[in-house]
Amino acid sequence: MKTQLKLLQTQTFKTFGLIVFMLFTLVAFNPVYGQTKMNSAAKASINERTIKGIVSDDTQPLNNVNITLKGTKIGTTTNEKGEFTFPKKLKTGDILLFSYLGYEKQEIEINDKTSFIKLVLTEDLIEMIGALDSNKPYKSKRKKN
Amino acid sequence: MKTVSLILLFTFTLHLQAQISDFKTINFKKADSIALECKDEGLYNLPELSNKLTSPLTTDVEKFRAIYKWVCNNIANDYSLYLKNKRKRQRFKDDSIKFNTWNNNFRKKLFKTLLEDQRTICTGYAYLVKTLAELANLECEIVQGYGRVSTTDIENLELPNHSWNAIKLNNKWYLCDPTWASGIPNPETNRFTFNYNDGFFLANPKLFAVNHFPDDPKWWLMDKDIPTFEAFLTAPIIYGKAYENLELHIAPKLMHHVIKKYQTITFKYQLSKTTKPEDISLLIDSGFNNWKTKPTSASIKKKSLIIKHQFKTNGFYDVHLYIKDDLISTYTIKVKS
Repeated sequence: MKTQLKLLQTQTFKTFGLIVFMLFTLVAFNPVYGQTKMNSAAKASINERTIKGIVSDDTQPLNNVNITLKGTKIGTTTNEKGEFTFPKKLKTGDILLFSYLGYEKQEIEINDKTSFIKLVLTEDLIEMIGALDSNKPYKSKRKKN
Repeated sequence: MKTVSLILLFTFTLHLQAQISDFKTINFKKADSIALECKDEGLYNLPELSNKLTSPLTTDVEKFRAIYKWVCNNIANDYSLYLKNKRKRQRFKDDSIKFNTWNNNFRKKLFKTLLEDQRTICTGYAYLVKTLAELANLECEIVQGYGRVSTTDIENLELPNHSWNAIKLNNKWYLCDPTWASGIPNPETNRFTFNYNDGFFLANPKLFAVNHFPDDPKWWLMDKDIPTFEAFLTAPIIYGKAYENLELHIAPKLMHHVIKKYQTITFKYQLSKTTKPEDISLLIDSGFNNWKTKPTSASIKKKSLIIKHQFKTNGFYDVHLYIKDDLISTYTIKVKS
């Protein structure tokens, strides 16, 4: 009986030890995670801001350039003067995708200091060629008698 | 851990094997109907268009299919732009400054026409397919090179005249030709008519090689039997319908033939769909008149089509192969005693 009690005591002690260890783990690792999360959230809300800009090519402003927040459907287009105001407030690390038919796509990452983007798009220097298919039967050129 | 890597390895191996069957199990109905639903979308917002076309689809091949089909169905071929460009390129071909100035100005004009009127020439098609595919995170390239059709001066192709696409799906490259798939000019009026040809979608590279010669040899997508430019220029003419009926054009390799009277000439093809020997006919043009005839013999075994035809009278013939009403290919045969 006594040995049984002793055995039970040792077991309880062991379980208790395990619980203490687990609690320790929780305390040891959880706050770190909680803190970073809070930090970034706080940072983001402070840093969120309206981004404006102007897009042109080497000669003139570009009208109707598409600007999308990467990974979303949120976007806008430039006006006739090439200007835009992005409809959603952006934070550091967000990426804007600029696309315009015939020009190379560009990605701009928002950094701590970004508030106005002045972007020059470069033309895709592709040689334009084109042959059509035809279902007109081939006809040999023959010497006329 | 070992089990996990084994499972991964197994899935990967299965995946690689699946490429050989090349999407035969995939039905493109959903992708095609999405392309149809987006008919009235313009080109002013390409990220949105690409997203609309691809977001309801799960596989890359279906996503690409929706993009490709949309471009083929909504972008018209501008025949007058094509002719003008061809003329100018020919005129400036020995003057690199004028040639480049023309190219630069023409490119601007072309993109404006594409954006506003949804009309273009080959490179515009290939460019748009590439742009939309890349917006959907697909790897796609424009291939520049030579296209050879019955109406081009087939023996004298001096300048690259055609563009098409290569698309990477499940780690493997495939070829397609959105321009030629979109339609053909009406033979009488030369006005472009939409007429989708499914044969140019992920076509067999060996068939593609009969009338597409890429500038950059990596786009043959073949390990061997890569034609020289001379061989390319002397190959038979194949038509759009060849891509809908054939898997391979095997023989003859040449367009022009000189044979003796009563000699027999043999044609070999691999078919891509079920065809009966009685569907095969030849249209023979002697320059004075033309007539449709059944070949001397036509046999089909396991989609391998072998045609033999004997020529009994002297003359110079244009010989056109037809499967039902589809014009497949042309050869010239000079028969002398």
